Amino acid sequence: MMIPNPLALIAEITHRCPLHCVYCSNPLELAAASAEMSTTEWIAVFQQAAHLGMLHAHFTGGEPLARPDLTELIAGARAAGLYTNLITSGIGLAEARLQALAGAGLDHIQISFQDSREEAANWIAGAKAHAHKVELSRLIRQHKIAFTVNLVVHRQNIGHIEEMIAFIEQLAPDRMEIAHTQYYGWALRNRAALLPTLAQLEKAVETVAAAEKRLAGRIRIDSVVPDYYARFPKACMGGWGRRLMLINPTGKVLPCHAAEVIPGLEFENVRRQTLEFIWKESPSFQRFRGEEWMPEPCRSCDQRAEDFGGCRCQALLLTGNATATDPACSLAPAHYIIEDTLAEANSSAAVSRPVSAASFVQLQQRAGNLWSYRTNPE
Amino acid sequence: MAPPEDSSQPRLAAGCRWGVEKEKESKPGSKTERVILYPEGALRLRDTGLLILEHCDGQRTFGEIIAELQAKFGDADPEKIRTDIGQFLEQLRHKRIVDY
Repeated sequence: MMIPNPLALIAEITHRCPLHCVYCSNPLELAAASAEMSTTEWIAVFQQAAHLGMLHAHFTGGEPLARPDLTELIAGARAAGLYTNLITSGIGLAEARLQALAGAGLDHIQISFQDSREEAANWIAGAKAHAHKVELSRLIRQHKIAFTVNLVVHRQNIGHIEEMIAFIEQLAPDRMEIAHTQYYGWALRNRAALLPTLAQLEKAVETVAAAEKRLAGRIRIDSVVPDYYARFPKACMGGWGRRLMLINPTGKVLPCHAAEVIPGLEFENVRRQTLEFIWKESPSFQRFRGEEWMPEPCRSCDQRAEDFGGCRCQALLLTGNATATDPACSLAPAHYIIEDTLAEANSSAAVSRPVSAASFVQLQQRAGNLWSYRTNPE
Repeated sequence: MAPPEDSSQPRLAAGCRWGVEKEKESKPGSKTERVILYPEGALRLRDTGLLILEHCDGQRTFGEIIAELQAKFGDADPEKIRTDIGQFLEQLRHKRIVDY
């Protein structure tokens, strides 16, 4: 089988983060700061990535700004020929550092907003981050860096999506990404409180379509219907081992964010093997590449070249079997799992959020039974 | 939304720049393609699409670009060249890849 080149590298340069989002996609087991790869190790990785034909380096974490050498890393990726994208909360980014990043050749910056309402946003993030992000958005527009605002949508905020879009509009980004929470890691633990109802979703889809029309030519909106409500599953990562490689803070190379949940898979480390070997030869990248591994109904399905059987991690998390058809697919034998979850989400009254408290710690304690939060590695 | 005016100067939008993509399978002597890199992807360009965007340097006006390409493709209907290029750039503006 011909193996195409990977297109993009997701560089998870640290797991440290000042936020504690209830839907964080980081693994439940985080890598400690002392085990992180060094500046030189990362720069060598970027050179390998470009050599292998990759075009983009997406810097993420944790919070990438927690690395004091971020400017050097961006410069190293740019020098290797990669397009550089910084995915950040913006916490820890002041004018001087932004200037340095721009000077290092940062192409694009993406900031996530948790809500348009400050109190709600700070509650979801578990930190007082909102006002700072608004201020930072103004600073970014003074530089020649493309700017995307990512808005994470879920049951608690989808009701005022129109207000949130208007809020983002006045931040004047080039792109707006409306991302529904995906149910892995912390979000899966908090799913009952995050999964929207069908009525909420339908109204939101209409609102987004109207905004897309209104903002055409000014702000591009990218939005995807959450897979729980879709007919076919998402083509997770553009297919396993087809486009993307993710490297975690310690150099472990994964086909996707969540791949470590799959039992029996061993992942190579870029400290010991080349990226090219890992991409082409490693058992983990070959495990679900192509169609050999597929069960029915995927194996004979016309959609198989579109969605590649959906997400392996979601199949594992929901059915206990990583080779099952993604239960999000309406044709999957285990689709009843999604149907049952949706039935519950649509029958129960909205899960309420505790009213504001004096401190975040107090809030966490009060809501301890309902929400799980990520905590930081040492 | 409308196609560019004759006096506007089409250019790549913020966050979009030229890059080079290697052929699918890396082998000796494999060719490379020019692509436009943007935040979440890349646009592969060949033939006329490539030619048009190479003219969108933020210096030339839309009127000048049209005139140059009409001269280059003398056999084709000049009005059709104008409409096609206008529509092409309008589509790319929607995607936030081109500004004018």
